[in-house]
Amino acid sequence: MSLRVYAIAYLIFLYAPIVLLPLFAFNDATIIAFPLSGFTTEWFSALKTNGSLHGALTNSLIIAGCTAVFSTLLGMCAARAAAMSHFPGKGGITGFVMLPLVLPEIIVAVSLLVILRQVLGLDLGNWTIIMAHVLICTPFSIAILNGAFGNLDPSMEEAALDLGESRWSAFRLVTLPLVMPGIISSMLISFTISLDEFIIAFFLTGSDPTLPVYIWGLLRFPAQLPVVMALGTILVALSIILLTIAELFRRRGIKRSGAKDTGGFL
Amino acid sequence: MTDLIKLRGVNKYYGTYHALRDIDLTIRAGEFFSLLGPSGCGKTTLLRVIAGFEGVSAGTVMISDRDMANVPPNQRPTNMVFQSYAIFPHLTVAENVAFGLRKRSDIAKSARAGLVEEALEMVALGGYGKRAAHALSGGQRQRVALARALILKPKVLLLDEPLSALDKKMREHMQVELIRLQRHVGITFILVTHDQEEALVMSDRIAVMFAGEIGQMDDPETLYRRPKSRRVAEFIGKMNFLPGQVTALSAAGEASSGAPLAGHAPGTVPPNRTNRLLTDLMDKIAPGTEANADTDTAEEAAASPEVMTVDIAGLGAAQISVDQAPEGAKLGEVAVGIRPETLAILFEGEMPKRHECPGVVDEVVYYGDMTYYDVRIKDVPQPLTIAMKNLIGRPVLEVGAACRVAWDDRALVLF
Repeated sequence: MSLRVYAIAYLIFLYAPIVLLPLFAFNDATIIAFPLSGFTTEWFSALKTNGSLHGALTNSLIIAGCTAVFSTLLGMCAARAAAMSHFPGKGGITGFVMLPLVLPEIIVAVSLLVILRQVLGLDLGNWTIIMAHVLICTPFSIAILNGAFGNLDPSMEEAALDLGESRWSAFRLVTLPLVMPGIISSMLISFTISLDEFIIAFFLTGSDPTLPVYIWGLLRFPAQLPVVMALGTILVALSIILLTIAELFRRRGIKRSGAKDTGGFL
Repeated sequence: MTDLIKLRGVNKYYGTYHALRDIDLTIRAGEFFSLLGPSGCGKTTLLRVIAGFEGVSAGTVMISDRDMANVPPNQRPTNMVFQSYAIFPHLTVAENVAFGLRKRSDIAKSARAGLVEEALEMVALGGYGKRAAHALSGGQRQRVALARALILKPKVLLLDEPLSALDKKMREHMQVELIRLQRHVGITFILVTHDQEEALVMSDRIAVMFAGEIGQMDDPETLYRRPKSRRVAEFIGKMNFLPGQVTALSAAGEASSGAPLAGHAPGTVPPNRTNRLLTDLMDKIAPGTEANADTDTAEEAAASPEVMTVDIAGLGAAQISVDQAPEGAKLGEVAVGIRPETLAILFEGEMPKRHECPGVVDEVVYYGDMTYYDVRIKDVPQPLTIAMKNLIGRPVLEVGAACRVAWDDRALVLF
């Protein structure tokens, strides 16, 4: 009984702040406080006409899209190497590649800023953020794709080779379709991580902010707070939808390769 | 039969691990050949070397007199049935079977559907083409894997433990099916298995492998009846081993040397005389002396082979022919092997055999069709395992029962 109470309290602690987001997004008052005064979609309408918001959103979508593609490509290379070949120092290299997963983002952000500006003398912009996001998303891609490639029977590709296909066509015809759910799952998760990443984007952003950086800017104007709530609601909904799709694809992939589900992100 | 596959001095290293040691192997066209051995003996590695998935560290692999050194697996005249079957789960059964036809420009696209159906019918899966491959049972997957490989009409079909994932009934059924299929298509089959029974049932010839080496290569019967080494004997079937002593070597047809051997019972020859006989005999069987022997001797020797006398611990003396012993056998200590089914317990009313001795039943294992007894015999160091068919009217003895054990010289193998 006490365990059940604990579990409920725990869930409330986790999700109450997120539940408050849509609550105030539809609340007909500029001050974020109870009691609620009435229902309105005014804040959502305000989002539609905000030009600088649209710019930030476009930036974020471009960055997230590129990050998803690049980190998944890198993740595929690493996961395939980890699953199929044995080479000296494999464990160490795998660990090193996964390290950004646990590195504090603020450290990554500051050191990248120093390198990009002071050492390389590059101008900050979307590309610098994409590079940094690929760095932090690749470990996630590897983790997901490791599952997909690891569950794959190594004889599959050999069987295709044996039946006359070249190495590349064996990969394309057999391996790729079998790991495709993992690839989609990896792209969706990288996309989500990149979309709402703030610290690195804040440090590396140029003149055009990303969406999280733009939202942070809005916070300085109390009158804009309900708009932020509305935007937050949309982002939360979007994240949940994307992660659910990613998980569905991951499970489908495991089922397809005929292996047992050994857990995932959700 | 012509030689199809020739391996000469094949060695394979993984780092410092010596996986294959000086493998010399010739496999004939149309043969059902098995590589048999415990796990880790290198049999699968050898199969993968033939398929081209593993390179060799030294030696040559020839298929149809063509050196395979730089030929990748997709260009070799071999196809493989993998242990896991490696059926592509995202394709249908028909797409799986047709997979290898993609790169075969010599087969018209319009003819492919017919070939696929033909191949599926050959493995008794006619009409299964439209099914999803991941929904098949283990036995069905195995058939699809066979059809997928055989549709390409390879010169050699390589089978990597294809039956190990099936249950006993299914396995026995598929053994017969595979033999039938091999006779039907006439393709050379190379089977890798750790199951000695499977190898004996299915093969024309078997190579037994231990630790990267071929221990013995023979047809199933020779392999079972005349294992060349103790580990081969232990690996294939059951065998009792007893310590023994070769006390005399004699050649019934030793006319040319002038020794009056014929007619003498070797066991009665006094020790000092035996020693002289031995030196004579060693001269005879030493390599290079064959050319000196005149034709008369050769013929006589063939008619009456050289015999040896072995004193077996607890069982007494036995006369055996030299082909029951390893080459170059000499006087001294040996291990004597006896298969359980060549020993017999004499039941009431049964005639005594050549050798007979009393014993006491120590252990009874009942298998239904057979009963395995461990019988303790006076002065024999360990109980002998004896396999008896449970014929009509034959009782199953109980532990502690006294019995008579019969054995025959011809069943002994010396190591």
